[in-house]
Amino acid sequence: MDLKKIISEHETKLKDALKSVDKIEALQDVKAQFVGKKAELSKLMRHMKDLPNEEKPAFGQTINEAKQYFSSLIETRKTEILEERLRQKLAQERIDVTLPAPDFSPGSPHLLRTVIETVEDLFIGMGYLVKEGPEVESDELNFEKLNLPKDHPARDMQDSFYITDDTLLRTHTSPVQVRTMLAYGGKEPVKIICPGKVYRRDDDDATHSHQFMQIEGLVVDTDTSLADLKGTLLAVAQKMFGKDRRIVLRPSYFPFTEPSFEVDVTCSNCDGAGCNMCKQTGYIEILGAGMVHNNVLEAAGYDSTKYQGFAFGIGVERIAMLKYGIDDIRHFYVNDLRFNKQFKGGQS
Amino acid sequence: MKVSMQWLKDYVQINERASVVADKFTLYSQEVEYTKQLVDATKLVVGYVKSCEAHPDADKLSVCKVDVGTEVLTIVCGAPNVDQGQHVIVARVGAVLPGDFEIKEATIRGVDSSGMICSLDELGIEHKYHNESGIHVIEGEVTVGANALSALYLDDEIIALDLTPNRMDLLSMHGVAYDVAAIFDKELNIPEVRLTYSDLKNPMKIRTETAACMSYYGSVIDDIEVRPSPLWMRARLIAAGVRPINNVVDITNYVMIETGQPLHAFDYDLFDSDEVVVRLAKHDETFVTLDDKTRVLTDQDILITNGKRPVALGGVMGGADTEVHDQTRTILLESAAFNPLNVRKTSTRLDLRSESSLRFEKGIDLGKTKYALDRATELLIKYANASVRKDVAYFNHVATEEKVIDVTLDKINRVLGSAYTEAHVAHVLKRLRFDFTVSDGCFNIVKPSRRPDFETYQDIIEEVGRISGYGDLPATLPRTVTVGALTPLQKFRRSLRRLLNGLGLDEVITYNLQDSEKVHKLVLDKTLQPIKVKHPMSQNRNVLRLSPLYGMVEAVSYNVARRRDSVHIFELGTRYTEHHEREVLSIAMHGTYQNRYWQSTQTLNFYTIKGIFEAVCKHYNIDSLRYEQIEADDYHPYQTARIFLEDQAIGHIGKMHPSLSAELDLADVYLLEVDLENLAEHAEALKPYEAIERYPSVERDIAIVVSEDIAAGKIIDMIRSHAQVQMKEAVVFDVYVGERLGKGLKSLGIRMVFSDPNQTLKAEVIDDEIQHLIEILEKEYDAKLR
Repeated sequence: MDLKKIISEHETKLKDALKSVDKIEALQDVKAQFVGKKAELSKLMRHMKDLPNEEKPAFGQTINEAKQYFSSLIETRKTEILEERLRQKLAQERIDVTLPAPDFSPGSPHLLRTVIETVEDLFIGMGYLVKEGPEVESDELNFEKLNLPKDHPARDMQDSFYITDDTLLRTHTSPVQVRTMLAYGGKEPVKIICPGKVYRRDDDDATHSHQFMQIEGLVVDTDTSLADLKGTLLAVAQKMFGKDRRIVLRPSYFPFTEPSFEVDVTCSNCDGAGCNMCKQTGYIEILGAGMVHNNVLEAAGYDSTKYQGFAFGIGVERIAMLKYGIDDIRHFYVNDLRFNKQFKGGQS
Repeated sequence: MKVSMQWLKDYVQINERASVVADKFTLYSQEVEYTKQLVDATKLVVGYVKSCEAHPDADKLSVCKVDVGTEVLTIVCGAPNVDQGQHVIVARVGAVLPGDFEIKEATIRGVDSSGMICSLDELGIEHKYHNESGIHVIEGEVTVGANALSALYLDDEIIALDLTPNRMDLLSMHGVAYDVAAIFDKELNIPEVRLTYSDLKNPMKIRTETAACMSYYGSVIDDIEVRPSPLWMRARLIAAGVRPINNVVDITNYVMIETGQPLHAFDYDLFDSDEVVVRLAKHDETFVTLDDKTRVLTDQDILITNGKRPVALGGVMGGADTEVHDQTRTILLESAAFNPLNVRKTSTRLDLRSESSLRFEKGIDLGKTKYALDRATELLIKYANASVRKDVAYFNHVATEEKVIDVTLDKINRVLGSAYTEAHVAHVLKRLRFDFTVSDGCFNIVKPSRRPDFETYQDIIEEVGRISGYGDLPATLPRTVTVGALTPLQKFRRSLRRLLNGLGLDEVITYNLQDSEKVHKLVLDKTLQPIKVKHPMSQNRNVLRLSPLYGMVEAVSYNVARRRDSVHIFELGTRYTEHHEREVLSIAMHGTYQNRYWQSTQTLNFYTIKGIFEAVCKHYNIDSLRYEQIEADDYHPYQTARIFLEDQAIGHIGKMHPSLSAELDLADVYLLEVDLENLAEHAEALKPYEAIERYPSVERDIAIVVSEDIAAGKIIDMIRSHAQVQMKEAVVFDVYVGERLGKGLKSLGIRMVFSDPNQTLKAEVIDDEIQHLIEILEKEYDAKLR
């Protein structure tokens, strides 16, 4: 009996059978046929008893090796069939990756809030608190305690939205400064910024709005100086308009500060050389500031011989308009989403 | 204030161009609005019209031979007043007139013309300053061929100052000169006045019955010849923006601009007394001002009287019956100081704002009243051939004692953050020409009368600071050490805004002033009274809003009208009632939310906006929310609810009434408004770690049939409140209404999740619990297990 020949014949048969099988179920039959108990190969073991003892181990080993080999062929085929089956399944899951996804896009923050947050964060980093107060304010806190007595020429009744003779829509956030100083009782140093909405009787046009946003700042201590104001405003200008910006303080007048200034920043477009953006001046006016008037300190309970301080007021819309080249202040309040949605992400 | 550079040079030797002076002035004093040439033209010469003949081919034109010194030009001129023997302004070929109008060789109707004879209008001098038609004929002696602008004193530059209310000293040339001298560190020359008096005696007696007139000086000036004032004075007045009239009026105006002290001239022959009595008007007293209008007065108006009747409204306007006219020979010249407040009230009420009233309102130099009178007198003697009577009549109640302001060098440096020496500060004060002494590091400065704005040492520090130059100060940061932080509410707002952005909502800011007609729209409580503003700019912004919602719906409408269908917006705004300003979160939604395009998109409905709100609440661990269906105007009667948080009503949610949507051309609009401060209060801070449950939770679904009008929320509440085993969740996962159930019934699929931190829950325990809950629902709501 030529065992090798028999095994070789079986191998050929098996390989043919595997070729024609393409289903796992059919593969089971092939397995039974070639390596199962009833397989031809298994039946050969019966001849073992007819062999001399010394040949028996080799005979058995040959058959077992053949079985193992056959099993591995079947397994390989099985893997092939499974892979093919998966491949076909996945092929049916083909999609068009260029089709649009559902719209989960986040909404946009309002640009004015973004600018306020940026300024707030700058000042929080320098140790300031953010203070807020009511918009319907008393004449006393909005004007009188800010060195603007009732008959002061700088407070034209026509400029403010009065509600009664004694209350009005605040014209600046300065009353929050007064409220804070009063709350501190004239004892503690003050270091605050006051963002919020304010109102003036202006006709709405490209550069005027009857409602707008302000961020005012106030520092009061025994040694708060004009140089400190200068350094603080330089930080604001550089934060908002770039680290190379310089500022210029021009003498001006506000009843609540003395001395008072308008603060210009070097034009970010031409760096002071003069261009259309800065109307050839090289500078752009960004805010008003000054050293707190003694009358304001005293009215808020601070001893002006001991305490001194600075204050400033930033127009949020103005900063946003300059920084982002916006030509009409009304954009901020019309809420045309084609405008609002341009300022995503919230990094200003 | 328009500053003539030529005029300024009378007092300060300054050679810089106006633009240079302006730049420095802006940095050290006041903002400059603009600088400009009084006449922006070149190549203008004085010409002499040697002959003037009619144009052969045109009726209205003349052909002139004009001697311009170097040659005789032929010029065709269209002005009817051109004539032989005149000295005129000639724009030669190559001259550029205002408006970039260049003069070229021209042939006019066959005659060659080499230049143009100019009118003042063509030089850019507005008509209000001269009233001339036709070409300008130069009076007096001039040199043919000379620069015409120099000959007319029009070769001047103007610096227009934009003055702040505290710097009214700069409403005078003297004041400007003081500042320029200080800024440029130059000599200052304010001329003294020397008068020679006639033998006649001033008969006037002057007194006041009101403190609103602080001083009053009056001179009687005879032999006046009323005529045009000299060219230089007229040019300076034009530069200052004042129309020249005649020498008397011009000199009072000139001195006013020079010194800041307004003057007034009465015709003495019409004055009808030798007495001036100043008093306040009586209520409803009338007076005819020199514009021939009858003015009804109040007891705040200052009246100048001749002891019998009013002759002028003090500081505002003279009377018609004592007005100076062409034949006036003798005048009573007034120089007085009036209370700024009275003048302001009078001029505002009567709408009579003038250069005089402006100066009185802002506060004049009380030390210059007599000087101004004498200065005007000097000019009248010189330019009106007048003579002045002996003794100026006057009273002066201005306090004579000097006010001294003290400030230490230490304080100056502490406020400015500077390191100035005593010598530096002293030098600055000298440049400012302040009268001061210094001892022990303390400066004692006499308040100068020209600076009525000075009150405290802060004013002195300002002067030292600005003249030293703010640019040289160091830039430091406050040394005050404090901890900067946001309050919990401020943090909550920021976080909430980000969260809502993340949920796809755009932030808006709408106006807080609204139309009173619309202010109650979308507001649940129609009895609320909005706060009205007294003088609104328009009817549609006359009250403060009771809710941001309507303004937001208008924003929705604005966008929808511009073909943007999907508008999902929120505002963290304020609503205002008579006693409260409350912050609210408001949301408005319209159109497709989270568009899925080709995949099936769920339409926006009540539950979308509810889901957004609940996502917010879950984020902040805000539970115990309850919704109670309500009916409210402007809202869908069956799709609107009030929201309760721990049994406190915090807002509402719902669909805008379809009729209102239709009115605004909108599809379905869903709205929400909740009290922001309430939300913030309930937003939990992060809690300590809780162990993750070790035993599996058990999920059970039941389906019950109940009457359709029982709210699902009530059933869930009932289940939660009666649960005996720890219940993690109870939620409606299915709602079914159909004929199979019977009319008026609905089936609710409810999923309950139980879990116990200490043990695995046994099936029997859960079975018993479910049985227990079903019994309760049967009893309370007649529910049947399906």
